[in-house]
Amino acid sequence: MTSATEKNTRRGFAWLILLLAAVFEIGYALSVGGSKAFTVYSWSLVAVVFFLLTLFFLSVSLRTIDVGIGYAVWAGIGSVGSAIFGAYLFDQPLTPTNAFFLAVIIAGVVWLKLADSPKLEAKSTDVPLAEAVHAKG
Amino acid sequence: MHWLYLGIAVVLEIVVAISAGNAKGFTRPLWTIATLVSGGIATYFLSLALLTFDVGVGYAIWTSTASVGIVVLGTLMFGQQLGWKKLLGIAVVIGGVVGLRLSGGA
Repeated sequence: MTSATEKNTRRGFAWLILLLAAVFEIGYALSVGGSKAFTVYSWSLVAVVFFLLTLFFLSVSLRTIDVGIGYAVWAGIGSVGSAIFGAYLFDQPLTPTNAFFLAVIIAGVVWLKLADSPKLEAKSTDVPLAEAVHAKG
Repeated sequence: MHWLYLGIAVVLEIVVAISAGNAKGFTRPLWTIATLVSGGIATYFLSLALLTFDVGVGYAIWTSTASVGIVVLGTLMFGQQLGWKKLLGIAVVIGGVVGLRLSGGA
């Protein structure tokens, strides 16, 4: 039997893994940009490593965390982080107009992922995509 | 060309999402390979697009429009209902992308 404490520990661990996946996703976006279409070998190698890490960590965390909520957090952190660190790292300044529309896009995608959450939509008759995809596979 | 590259990357990212869902934590070899191959090609086209787009802008447009595509595909192919919440999310994402384009940010 799993005690409540064990369940909490497992959930906490899953969230830590998810946050790491989000950090790796930022690293992925930045290194793909830095690779200059995979002509800069150091950045390209880093991009491949981050690609595998973000995919693996995300999938591990989603075994415990609800798919919609997990994707929302991951995509939100990934997008905000890429915009902020990309601006500094590559000297691509964020103008107020750019920052505003990026915020709109990121809010939209986080909202969309949450709307696709099996957990949050449990009361409705809606079949969440993740489950529909699984059922088909 | 950068919008075309980004568009191809978006289509492949949708394939990644479907493959990764079916790979079930990478326990199914064929779906795992499909995930890695589509992810690799998506990444390459994203990198081509990011030669022109700022990283933060290109990445946000890529991941958000792929999410819209996944929801639309879920409606068309898996009979999911497209409620007002999802429609609102889609409208906000598209509004943001169009706003970036019209304001010269992308």
